[in-house]
Amino acid sequence: MLPLSLLNAAQNKPMLVELKNGETFNGHLVNCDNFMNITLREVYQTSAEGDRFWKLRECYIRGSTIKYLRVPDTLLDAVKDEQTRAREAGRSARGSGAGSRGGPQRGGRGRGRGA
Amino acid sequence: MDSLIPFTTSGSLVDCVDRKMLVILRDGRKLHGVLRSYDQFANLVLEDTVERLYHENTFAENWHGIFVIRGENVVLLGEIDLDKEDDIPLNQVPYTILESYHRSNITSKKYRDDIKAQILYEQKGFCKEGGEGDGY
Repeated sequence: MLPLSLLNAAQNKPMLVELKNGETFNGHLVNCDNFMNITLREVYQTSAEGDRFWKLRECYIRGSTIKYLRVPDTLLDAVKDEQTRAREAGRSARGSGAGSRGGPQRGGRGRGRGA
Repeated sequence: MDSLIPFTTSGSLVDCVDRKMLVILRDGRKLHGVLRSYDQFANLVLEDTVERLYHENTFAENWHGIFVIRGENVVLLGEIDLDKEDDIPLNQVPYTILESYHRSNITSKKYRDDIKAQILYEQKGFCKEGGEGDGY
């Protein structure tokens, strides 16, 4: 799945964000957008040298300042499971509703072209 | 990922997915990991990532898990040949040993690059690099 969709699926999960200047932010993802701007809560900020620390209840990080994000390994599997479950649910809902209507219509169109 | 299959142009990364890759970042970090996905900005998702430090004839590794890397920070991406991967003529040492060497290497490299940039600027008319200060 796309990197940004992985990020969207990681809401409420803990992660580490390193900025271009080397500062790191450890916290839980609240929200993110298509520019990779993110908001985190319960954040532990570390300076680039690793010598100073701050605790922030919430913070907003502009996407353009991010170097990378580290996410827990379990996230990838959890997200894939969610995706397959959502797909199954969507497929079964569509199948039961539209299947009966779709069949006869498709058959009619085909016969028309053949003649 | 199925929606990315139409990306069959020469500039696509689709052939690199699910392969072990070496990524070099602008700060000089070298990451080895399996490329899981990418997008139009070349943001990357790397799984099972290992950061490697090199010093003379030794190297050290540090395991980091899953990385989501913002594309603009990537210098290069290269496929690792799994057959040749283990034939490196270098000795592996614990990460803690190379950490201090790595830091001093970085500072001396930065010092040398600054002097170089200054000379090129003053004597040869080259422009000074932007504020990013790439470490690779």
